[in-house]
Amino acid sequence: MSSGPEHLLDVAGLEVRYGAIEAIRGAGLEVCKGEIVTLLGANGAGKSSFLNAVMGLVPLAAGRVALDGEDITGETPEAVVRRGMTLCPEGRRVFANLTVRENLAIGGATRRRAGDAATILADMLDRFPVLAERHDQMAGTLSGGEQQMLAIARAMMSAPRIVLLDEPSLGLAPRVVDTIFEMIVALQHHGATILLVEQNVDLALDIADRGYVLASGRVALSGPASELQASGEVERAYMGRD
Amino acid sequence: MDILIQQFVNALSLGGTYALLALGLAMVFSVLGLINFAHGDLMTLTGYTMFFAIGAGLGLPLAVVLGIACATLAAVAMERVAFRPVRDANTATMLLTSLAVSTILHMLFQNLISARPRAIPVPSWMIGAVDVGGLAIGVIQLMSITATALLLIALSIFLRRSILGIAMRAAALDFPVTRLMGINANAVVATAFGLSGLLAGVAGVLWLAQRGSVDPLMGFLPVLKAFIAVVLGGLGSLAGAVVGGFALAFIEVFLRAFLPDGWLPFRESITLTLVIVLLLVRPEGLIGRRENVR
Amino acid sequence: MLHASTTRIAAVAAGLVVAGGVAQGDSHGITIGYAGGFTGYLAPYDQPSLNGVQLALDQINEAGGIMGMPVELVVKDTRSDTAQAAVVAQELIEEGVVAMIVSCDVDPAVASGVMAQAAEIPSASSCASTPSLPAAVGPYMFSNYTADNLQGAVLAEYARGQGYENAYILLSRDTPYTEKLPEYFGEAFEAMGGTVVAVGEYTMGQQDFSAEVTNIGGLDPSPDVIQTSAYEPDFPAFIKQLRAAGIDTPVLGSDGIDSPTTFALGDVAEGVVFSNAGFASPGSALEAFEMAYEAKYGTPNDTVFTATGYDLMMVIAAAIEAAGSTDGPAIRDAWDNLENVQVATGSITYKDQNRVPVRVVALNQVSGGERVHVGDFSPDPSMIPAP
Repeated sequence: MSSGPEHLLDVAGLEVRYGAIEAIRGAGLEVCKGEIVTLLGANGAGKSSFLNAVMGLVPLAAGRVALDGEDITGETPEAVVRRGMTLCPEGRRVFANLTVRENLAIGGATRRRAGDAATILADMLDRFPVLAERHDQMAGTLSGGEQQMLAIARAMMSAPRIVLLDEPSLGLAPRVVDTIFEMIVALQHHGATILLVEQNVDLALDIADRGYVLASGRVALSGPASELQASGEVERAYMGRD
Repeated sequence: MDILIQQFVNALSLGGTYALLALGLAMVFSVLGLINFAHGDLMTLTGYTMFFAIGAGLGLPLAVVLGIACATLAAVAMERVAFRPVRDANTATMLLTSLAVSTILHMLFQNLISARPRAIPVPSWMIGAVDVGGLAIGVIQLMSITATALLLIALSIFLRRSILGIAMRAAALDFPVTRLMGINANAVVATAFGLSGLLAGVAGVLWLAQRGSVDPLMGFLPVLKAFIAVVLGGLGSLAGAVVGGFALAFIEVFLRAFLPDGWLPFRESITLTLVIVLLLVRPEGLIGRRENVR
Repeated sequence: MLHASTTRIAAVAAGLVVAGGVAQGDSHGITIGYAGGFTGYLAPYDQPSLNGVQLALDQINEAGGIMGMPVELVVKDTRSDTAQAAVVAQELIEEGVVAMIVSCDVDPAVASGVMAQAAEIPSASSCASTPSLPAAVGPYMFSNYTADNLQGAVLAEYARGQGYENAYILLSRDTPYTEKLPEYFGEAFEAMGGTVVAVGEYTMGQQDFSAEVTNIGGLDPSPDVIQTSAYEPDFPAFIKQLRAAGIDTPVLGSDGIDSPTTFALGDVAEGVVFSNAGFASPGSALEAFEMAYEAKYGTPNDTVFTATGYDLMMVIAAAIEAAGSTDGPAIRDAWDNLENVQVATGSITYKDQNRVPVRVVALNQVSGGERVHVGDFSPDPSMIPAP
């Protein structure tokens, strides 16, 4: 668990409590630049809590989060975003009463000052043509898959160094899920670094470089995606071994 | 027919003031989930600022500007001092905090200025009426309608075109995700309070122009009306607050104008009954969406 | 002004004894209680009343007290809450007050008054003007202020004297004052041969009177006079909108509009006639009071409630002096027989009045932003509507 400059994201000893409930009990992981790393686990294993804590959305009881070697533990979500890490939340959570255009504009709020929001926007509309077609439509009127694309595009508008994707396949038809995952791979090819939380183990390990399995708030298993896929231990870890 | 149009203009003018107040209340509610009962006291603050400015010989235009500026700054200060420390607390805590702020302001006004009303002289040209196609429209009414229209247009542009404006609408829908866009939560909340103060200040000037004096408790009734307007329009919806404000004014003015004499004592009860009936039919309010019902 | 106010905050907050002059310990002094709403909605009335009471107390103690004993005032804040008014009255009774001043509004006045009644301690409201108040509580409760029916009768007599035939009345059922006074006016006006053509109603705090004004404009026959007991902020809003609509019918108001705001209204208020408890003509007791007030508080008096507070304290002193005792029933009987007590606003008589005093009603006219004395009136008792 040595943290080196090659790690873009380095999380160690993370603990999260909700009152008396310990959601995360000392979990850590690393993501290197250009990687897709997936964080797997059963329902309630603490995957979303982990991401929210890393982003500063929920307070940490203990642990350390470093981005590109800089300690960002305890910073507010908006500060974390401005440092170059963002989260595409579970359930998409697009701003339903805002238009697609406005959703993307606010996604690029931090880049507007940097002056390159327009370039990124053109890139996103190119990558997700359906968003260009629906530009002036309320986000709430989009289909689930379109909303997921919007949520990803909105997250990418801040030109993050690393993006955390929380359950992008949730509630989508298999064909749509395939499309979304192709787009995630395409983002990686364009240089994005991704930490992917998924319940769909096979799909996630298919596109990931490495994987971690979270059980009862701890990392139960980790390794290269191909090895995890082959070993069959992932299913066992899913049952929990506390 | 003429009387009907006249009462329509009357309702429009009153509705403007209600709408400005309700919009300010809704703006803060939409980002914090707080009904700020100290909102009306910002109007009172505008009044006292104007009173002292006029007393210092600064003249009415400057007094108006200072009055509105003071309400705006006070709203921001109120957030910083009173509401930020309890922002993560539950709704009841925030509500009680706002009542406490209101009570403290009442005490300060009563004991440091005066419990008695203070006169704010309104120039005589404001008291006349203009003849518009046979309708006598009061100058203050006209100013009220114009100010409301201009302010609503400006706000609408701000909320649609500027990043901070879009962020405020986004924060009303989903505050945590808005922060994930790199938007500073404190900036959004402070802007919401600042705008609510600005709106209260303008509404205060219009209200004061009608009543001609300021007293410590003057903000209490307007904030209640604004609260009814906000609920009527749909809690959490900015457009709803505006519509609710106008709807309340129309109900009030038309009941007062056209109820038979024997029914007049019940006009307030009838107004509230109508509001309740509307809410029974549309629990989400006139404009609110079901998903916005909290 | 700031100095006086800060002292008041401390006094009110702590419920402290505000001693006027030399208080020499409980056993030697006479204690008067004041259960008032010094914060909350009654503060605009009870605060000035308290100032007047304290000024009277200073003068009484400087002149040697009552029956040679120093007088002290125990002030307790009801926070304008009716339930609290009863609690505070009980506390004052336990502290041994011999007479009690209660709030300006009828409800808290009754709440405090019934406690005093039960303890056989005479009490009076500083400025509640509902004539039925003393009867509602019992023989230990007195009125002090110019009663609504008296003001209504004086205004009606004036209106008929001006030759007005048709009157419009604007009232609010939110308080007895804003409801009853215009009704007493209407009753007296019709008894004197006039006609009330219409009655309008408003809600206190209502900013917008356009609906009522539009209705007045459409009345047939159009009224010769408009009477209302609306006060600020309602009165300024009403009269501005009335005049803006081009209606120049004369307006009669009552003492609620005796406030700087009315005189700052400019042209719209020009010619408005209103009743109050007295006019400070040169050489009058009221003028002397105004001067003493400014000397004590450093700011000119801006309401008649200070003077009527002063009056009440003087009446209490006269009653105790006449009783020659601090015994409740004795004070009550003496109070009930007081005649021509000289006070700031003139003279007050309680004898044979069922504890609702006879006092002068002054009529004033707003003219060029100043107050002009129309005259002092005491109407024929048969013309005063029954409470």
